Amino acid sequence: MSKKIIKCEINNQEVEVPEGTSIIEAFKELDQSIAHYCWHPGLSVAGVCRLCMVDIEGIPKLQIACNTEVKEGMKISNQSEKVKEAVKWGLEFHLINHPLDCPICDQAGECELQEQYMNFGQYSPNMAERKVKKRKVVDLGSKIVLDTERCILCSRCVRFTDEVSKTHELGIFNRGDRSEIGIFKDKPLENEYAVNTVDICPVGALTSKDFRFRQRVWYLKTADSICTGCSTGCNIKIDYNEEGLFRVQPRYNKEVNGYWMCDKGREVYRLPNKEGRLLEAKAPSSYSFKREDSLRPSRAGGNPVSSVEVLKKIRELFVKKEKAPQSALVLTAQYTVEEYEDLVSFFIKHLGTQQDIYYWRNNPESFDDFDGVLLRGDKNPNTKGLLEVLTNQGAIHSWESLQNRLKQKEIEVLWVAGPENQKVYPDLKEKIDTFESYCDNIIWWTAHPLSDSQKIWQIPTKTFFEKEGTLINHTGRAQKVKAVHQLVSSALSLSESATVLKGEELKKQEPPFLVTPMKTNHFTYKKKVL
Amino acid sequence: MSRVQRKSRSGVWYLPPIFKGLFFTFKKMLANLSKKNKMLTLNYPEEHYSYGPRFKGNHILTVKKDGSLRCTACMLCATNCPANCIKIIASEHESPEVEKYPIAYEIDILRCVFCGFCEEACPVDAIRMGPEWQAAGLNGDDFIYDIKYLSKRDSLKGGVLSHVDDKERHKAGM
Repeated sequence: MSKKIIKCEINNQEVEVPEGTSIIEAFKELDQSIAHYCWHPGLSVAGVCRLCMVDIEGIPKLQIACNTEVKEGMKISNQSEKVKEAVKWGLEFHLINHPLDCPICDQAGECELQEQYMNFGQYSPNMAERKVKKRKVVDLGSKIVLDTERCILCSRCVRFTDEVSKTHELGIFNRGDRSEIGIFKDKPLENEYAVNTVDICPVGALTSKDFRFRQRVWYLKTADSICTGCSTGCNIKIDYNEEGLFRVQPRYNKEVNGYWMCDKGREVYRLPNKEGRLLEAKAPSSYSFKREDSLRPSRAGGNPVSSVEVLKKIRELFVKKEKAPQSALVLTAQYTVEEYEDLVSFFIKHLGTQQDIYYWRNNPESFDDFDGVLLRGDKNPNTKGLLEVLTNQGAIHSWESLQNRLKQKEIEVLWVAGPENQKVYPDLKEKIDTFESYCDNIIWWTAHPLSDSQKIWQIPTKTFFEKEGTLINHTGRAQKVKAVHQLVSSALSLSESATVLKGEELKKQEPPFLVTPMKTNHFTYKKKVL
Repeated sequence: MSRVQRKSRSGVWYLPPIFKGLFFTFKKMLANLSKKNKMLTLNYPEEHYSYGPRFKGNHILTVKKDGSLRCTACMLCATNCPANCIKIIASEHESPEVEKYPIAYEIDILRCVFCGFCEEACPVDAIRMGPEWQAAGLNGDDFIYDIKYLSKRDSLKGGVLSHVDDKERHKAGM
């Protein structure tokens, strides 16, 4: 049964909301600004910060917007002097014991105390007493650091562990001005969703150890993306600058992840970062370079090896033959739908490998796991998309048949679109060994170098941060990722690789958005050459 | 368009101005030789000109009473720097009272425009612009001042003490 729709007026603007909506939700519906700390749309109402004061016509005293329901014909305002005064003095109470160590606080720049102070405060403090000193730099576990002095006791984090993660690690201890957030003895804050408490903390009381002191937030730009950590496909925001990616935060999507994301997913920012990426294409050590060969490695005096040139060489060796050698393609579910379509259609049309396209499924034991909140056992962002493409092209074959064909030495060239996130493929080493022992020519697309494999052609691929495409999550929901910034210039997407392998010229594509690099001084950065 | 000057009678009278000029030169030379202390020029490498106390020269990172760096790595100087010449890497300090401190602090002095905004932005009097103005070097490396040079170079004689003290602030209940 749908709820009754009622009308009310907010700051002389009419809005229609379903019955039972709180005033603050109606404010958010209209995109009107209202000061608040303790209220969070994903959590229950606490009503402790007393900052979301509103003036309701007919009620003599101010009411809190988060715990008051909208009634038919209500006239609500938060623009009056009365409200502004109330918020100002409310804010001063919050700041009585706040240490004001903004220079060393990681939240500075995105702190709601700073924002509200600039909007409503700007008073000179009237407090004559000394500030109450509390514990600083309290270790809450492997992920989070707590500063009890900065905390304003909004209880968002406590409600989060009670209501969302349901692990009940945090609590408010002591009373009065000595009350503080804390954990119980020997029970650290170690659940899979713990870092969400850092996101929802309106001040800098909870800070993430991973991000702590690495960047000031005003140096970061934000880009929308999709988490590639598992098949849930949470919507995320990535904070990055010219030095690389620094952190991941959840982005609200009612259908997929709500307001939250898991801590494992927060690791995905490491994947596109230049440290640990494969920066140049690699030819196997057995490949003997000729004097006139454009593939000669840079240290031997030739030009730096670009991946396009390596792919052209591969095309000469394995594709552009009168009788194409028997090839097989192995795909992991870590690329976009568009890439699969291009690559698979290239293989079927040009190499005739309809019968030899295989799907590499990692961790089959825990593949269908689900922890009940967000985290799934299928650690690939696009399993559904891959299976869809393979079914459409009629090219899905069991892993056993690949093994049989490899053992019978029927496959001369093996092409592998390897995992972008190698950590979630525990069988990676084992698979490389199998492939290497049964096949002489292996071409491997990978974003991160394969350690100690000398027999494989390695082609650097773009990560989810650098290419545009569609990922299909476990429910079949297609979500777009955007190309934000290319960190490795020689990286190619699978579609681009397919274009080069076909023998076509690659279109020079300017990345849609480039971060201007820090201006470097020629004389100081090229050391010893002045 | 160029213009050719014709020979004129007045053009012949070039000697008197030359003697006038030479007379001035010799007058000054003799005056300088007799009154050396009033001479305007300096024998530069041996003699230095000292500027006023508000002169903005090479940067100094101040220290606390125990000799450790005053800087808290808040990066306000780097943010405020119009020349983008300050680079700081922050890290976690062992002591919870300090909490954050810089492990690297580099100023590219060739980029610096000596505007003094870093000094103005600093909330804890950690960076100052000192009286030194000579920035000579043999190669590019010498123009990047690192944390050690900025705080403990020989001319600072062990470091410059900061006005702002954490312990006093804690005692005052701030």
